Amino acid sequence: MTDPAPRDENLSAAPTAGSGPPVKAAPEKRKGARGERAKRTAKKILVWIPLILLVLWTVTPFLVTLSVSFKQRAEVFADPGIIPSNPTFDAYSEVLASDSFTTSFVNSLIVGAGTTALSIVIGVPAAYAFARFRFRGRNLLLLFTLLPRLVPSLGLMVPIYRLAVVAGLLDKRLTLIVVYTAMLLPLAVWLMVGFFQQIPREIEEAASVDGASLWGRLRYIVAPLAAPAMITIGVLAFREAWNEFTLVLVLTNTPGKRTLPFELYLMQGIEGIANFPGEAAFTILTILPFILVYTRIEKYVVAGLVTGSGK
Amino acid sequence: MTATTVSKSKVGRRRWWQRDSRPPDRDNSTVIGHSKATPYLFTLPAILLVAALLGFPVLYGIFQSLFRAPSLGAPVEWVSLENYADMFSSSDFWHSLNRTALFVGGSLILGTGLGLFFSFALFQVLGRLRFLRAVTVAPYIISNVAAAVMFRILFNSQFGTINRIIEFFGLDGPSWLAKPTLAMVVVIFTQVWTDLPLTILLLLGGLMTIDKTHLDAALVDGADGWTRARHITIPLLAPQLLISTVWLSYSTLTGLGVVLALTGGGPLKATQTMAMEMYTVAFRSLEFNRALAIATFILILNALLTLAYVGIGRRFEYDQ
Repeated sequence: MTDPAPRDENLSAAPTAGSGPPVKAAPEKRKGARGERAKRTAKKILVWIPLILLVLWTVTPFLVTLSVSFKQRAEVFADPGIIPSNPTFDAYSEVLASDSFTTSFVNSLIVGAGTTALSIVIGVPAAYAFARFRFRGRNLLLLFTLLPRLVPSLGLMVPIYRLAVVAGLLDKRLTLIVVYTAMLLPLAVWLMVGFFQQIPREIEEAASVDGASLWGRLRYIVAPLAAPAMITIGVLAFREAWNEFTLVLVLTNTPGKRTLPFELYLMQGIEGIANFPGEAAFTILTILPFILVYTRIEKYVVAGLVTGSGK
Repeated sequence: MTATTVSKSKVGRRRWWQRDSRPPDRDNSTVIGHSKATPYLFTLPAILLVAALLGFPVLYGIFQSLFRAPSLGAPVEWVSLENYADMFSSSDFWHSLNRTALFVGGSLILGTGLGLFFSFALFQVLGRLRFLRAVTVAPYIISNVAAAVMFRILFNSQFGTINRIIEFFGLDGPSWLAKPTLAMVVVIFTQVWTDLPLTILLLLGGLMTIDKTHLDAALVDGADGWTRARHITIPLLAPQLLISTVWLSYSTLTGLGVVLALTGGGPLKATQTMAMEMYTVAFRSLEFNRALAIATFILILNALLTLAYVGIGRRFEYDQ
């Protein structure tokens, strides 16, 4: 694997320990133990080098951007070190004062919250029905719900844009919310069906015997048990709405309706000379809400990520 | 007794989509009561939304690729496969196919290589995975545009960290995004950076399912680390490698965000992938039906590639 060298050492030591006569075995063994310890140290170092590389691979782009965001425009070129010599919040105050950031931030919040709520309101009952009820056409309908997961947003760009133009739905936040919800539903249903199937049926049966209605069971038994799965869907839905770029690019065209990725994209083109600290500060502010809650949502992100791909 | 036989023969007569996959003893419909309409009421909103906004647009797009407007803004006319004929005779299309092959191929090699490297490393420290897993997954919460900004700063020719490192070794750092070949390298790196979390998690999940006895047996037989990885671990990882390859390929083939935000297809069309070509034809030239032909081609290519990966993957899997 990653450490062929120490293994070789071990293998060459092994026959020596075994081949000697029994009297000689004791010192040979000690030598083997010392080799073992050396091997372990070597292994530790060899294991940590790739792990440090992994951390560097992931973190360097963040750190470099963070560093540039605290510099003056001219200073970026004059002072290329990672730690700014005169750290300043200029770029941040500039971005925070600009309409493009504040408006798109609010838009992203609205679209994110709307997508999250709608995904849960529509996805959870559907998943519950697929997991718990037996009805005619169940498998076919489930297939119809899950299969569109394979549709890439690239394939949707032109058709959805054309349909939105015809229907007069361009430039509306609600359009974005509905489209993002549709894109997320197959994954949400897939995730929730698996989750509902894990909840023991007997709990609901007992409640049913005690006279709980379907709504009562959903409200007081299923919903609390399914909370982690719902949070996962919420996090994924919010992330999708917050980060989606190609569809918002074609579905909005006035400044007041754009979301953060679109404004960040435009920021690169508008100014003649690239405003690197501004772009960097905008980027940092865009990902800041996620970073702040990252330790809390990380496990849901992982759960959604792994389930979403394992079809 | 009779009831069982009746229901059995009934099951036999049902079509495959009407059958329930669960065995009869786990049938809970009698205990958890619900009216006949409830399941449909529950599932209908989701089905309608997905059908209206995912299923229908794609089919509509494929259908519309058979039409064309004679001039800009004029109503479309049926032209059968003319859009496709034009596409295959256009040099821009073949150029973009070539760029896509580089982009997808490069991302697959880099992504799978790094994915294997990092997941093998993470596998050695499973106990202390909490922090490292959080770090690994972080790029997933970043939008493509934000990733593009970060990498443009990282690879900047004048103050970028990469060039500072190169200069440290006494060499001249190139202007990455201005040189056609190097721009593609940066695009591949950025794309892989955004896609790697899933690859690592998939491969790590695969490593955790591998039966240790295979590796121990190989160790007894005297296989060194590389031999074990090559002949045992990687073949046993075949299912996860297949999924991650299919997914990476899908993500790069249909990925537009990174390329558009990072280079916009330039310099000199060096990063004009098929996704970019589709975007350009649709939203710069406003020839939507021609763009739909390209989009349809991308969907078909994606399906064919997936089948090819599955075919290749089968050969590497152990017969069990």
